[in-house]
Amino acid sequence: MHHAHIDKFAYQDSVIHRLDSRVKFIAVLVFTAMVISLPRTSLSILACFAIGPFAVLVLGGIPLRFVFKQILLVSPFVLVLALSCPLYDRTPLTVAFGPFVWRGTLGWMRCFAILGKFVVTMLALIGLVSTTRFNDLLAGLQRLGVPKLLVIQLGFLYRYIFVLIDRAHHILQARAGRKLRNLGFKRELRTASAMVGSLFIRSIDTAEHINIAMQGRGFDGRWRSISKLQIRRADLLFALIAVSFMLVLYVFVKPVLQ
Amino acid sequence: MHMANELLSVPVASGTLAIAAAAIGFICRKARQVIATEKLALMGILGAFVFAAQMVNFQIPAMPGTSGHMVGAVLLAIILGPHLGTIVISSVVIIQCLIFQDGGLLALGCNIINMGLVPCYLGYFLYKVVTAGQFSSLKSYIGAMLACVLAIEAGAVLVPIQAVLSGVLVVPFSTFLITMLGVHFMVGFVEGLITVAVLAYLQQVRPDVVLDCLPGKVRLNRGAVLVTLGVFAVIAGAGLSLLASDFPDGLEWSYAERPDQPDFDSVVSNEDPRVAAVDDFQSKYSLLPDYSGRTSKLGQVAVEGVDLSAGWTSFAGVAGSAVTMGVIWLTVSILRKRRPSKA
Repeated sequence: MHHAHIDKFAYQDSVIHRLDSRVKFIAVLVFTAMVISLPRTSLSILACFAIGPFAVLVLGGIPLRFVFKQILLVSPFVLVLALSCPLYDRTPLTVAFGPFVWRGTLGWMRCFAILGKFVVTMLALIGLVSTTRFNDLLAGLQRLGVPKLLVIQLGFLYRYIFVLIDRAHHILQARAGRKLRNLGFKRELRTASAMVGSLFIRSIDTAEHINIAMQGRGFDGRWRSISKLQIRRADLLFALIAVSFMLVLYVFVKPVLQ
Repeated sequence: MHMANELLSVPVASGTLAIAAAAIGFICRKARQVIATEKLALMGILGAFVFAAQMVNFQIPAMPGTSGHMVGAVLLAIILGPHLGTIVISSVVIIQCLIFQDGGLLALGCNIINMGLVPCYLGYFLYKVVTAGQFSSLKSYIGAMLACVLAIEAGAVLVPIQAVLSGVLVVPFSTFLITMLGVHFMVGFVEGLITVAVLAYLQQVRPDVVLDCLPGKVRLNRGAVLVTLGVFAVIAGAGLSLLASDFPDGLEWSYAERPDQPDFDSVVSNEDPRVAAVDDFQSKYSLLPDYSGRTSKLGQVAVEGVDLSAGWTSFAGVAGSAVTMGVIWLTVSILRKRRPSKA
């Protein structure tokens, strides 16, 4: 398979990996909401908030280079919108930052704030996903009240995503080997639609085979997971640390830094 | 067009999240009563199919270097029906968020609405309305095209609306809207073409799959394509002329000079004392809690002790955070190095 295993680090073992998926999920959700609700022009508080996900990533043993590559990969849409801020908001202002004094515009500040929030919330999300096996996360989500049908759907989807992407790679390679020039729009479109169509048919056939195999093994529409969910002392400790970290930053540090 | 966390405010994010969750919950409950367990595997695999189909790209004419690919929402809605289509596409959006980190966790509600709920239901509805009655090749052509273009545009229109409701962006609403509409018109057009072509291919190879949505033979002939293009030229022209009235307002701020007002001074160059006074006023009263070194007049840095001390506070915050991260990293790496030697 040529694709990068995006959640390959979820199968490591560490203090963070052993935590209950529900605790981590809720912590990330609250953390994201808190970061988003910060004032639009405050930058330095973001650095303080970044400590939390950073600690989680480092404790979980996730290589930081992988994390930043991942953030860079998904940034284009946000980048365009953030960079358009300086064009439209030209209120001049001067920023004093320690020994440095920088003259800029409010638009640039907003641009940096949007990018900063993006990076911090992405750190938190990657911290969740790359330290939690997807099956555990699904089991946790189901316990949190996500509809069963959606959980089954997500489980199947995750299981077969890479299989089908691999198939698409094969088809693309076959086209690349036979098509040595631009064929013109009409034939390009016809080729692409044939490729998508055959992929679709193969998917349906695969689904039928899987269904027969699952019926043979007694599938009754319930998603069973081997992962045991229980809140242990470590989970409570993590929750306590997370809550106090966020509360201290929000209640005590935020007013000081403004 | 994945919405990111940063472009939303908490009320908008939680509101859309609640709407999306309620809708998905309702559809799941309804669907669970209807569908058999055989369909479960099919839906899951078709979700994975959407990912794979997005990798099949092809050259677009008139724009060398760019290539298009399909999104698949409308195709699935037409083949599976809107309810199952919505569940499949929503699960794709959730996986894109959780596994590929495309789109934020809080923005999940917006993304499900923009890319799942709206395109699937609107697309299915439009397709059914256009192709109702006697089957004809032309009708299904126009129906699929119309469904793709309008469904994707409808989803795209919601993005600037949600951003403006959140009040995060300073980009004028009309500029953002026109950009989104323009880009997604192209996306929708390509999507429509390939959706029709895939439907035609499926009918050739596996007519049983598309029996409900294509009861007759579809032909990709020149006449049908020309008529479709004509219909869309009219729609595009009408849409653009409606939007054009907003256009000058939208781009006003990006002009440094305005040809219609020769004595207009832009905010950036400020020789005019009046403009400087306005700037002064703005910089005094604009709410900037964090950045303390305010200008009394542009170009003159205020050097009062209070301002700079506030600057030092934020410096201390950033530096302290950096040091803390360094300490955490060092501690963990030392601990990790020790562990193998112990074991």
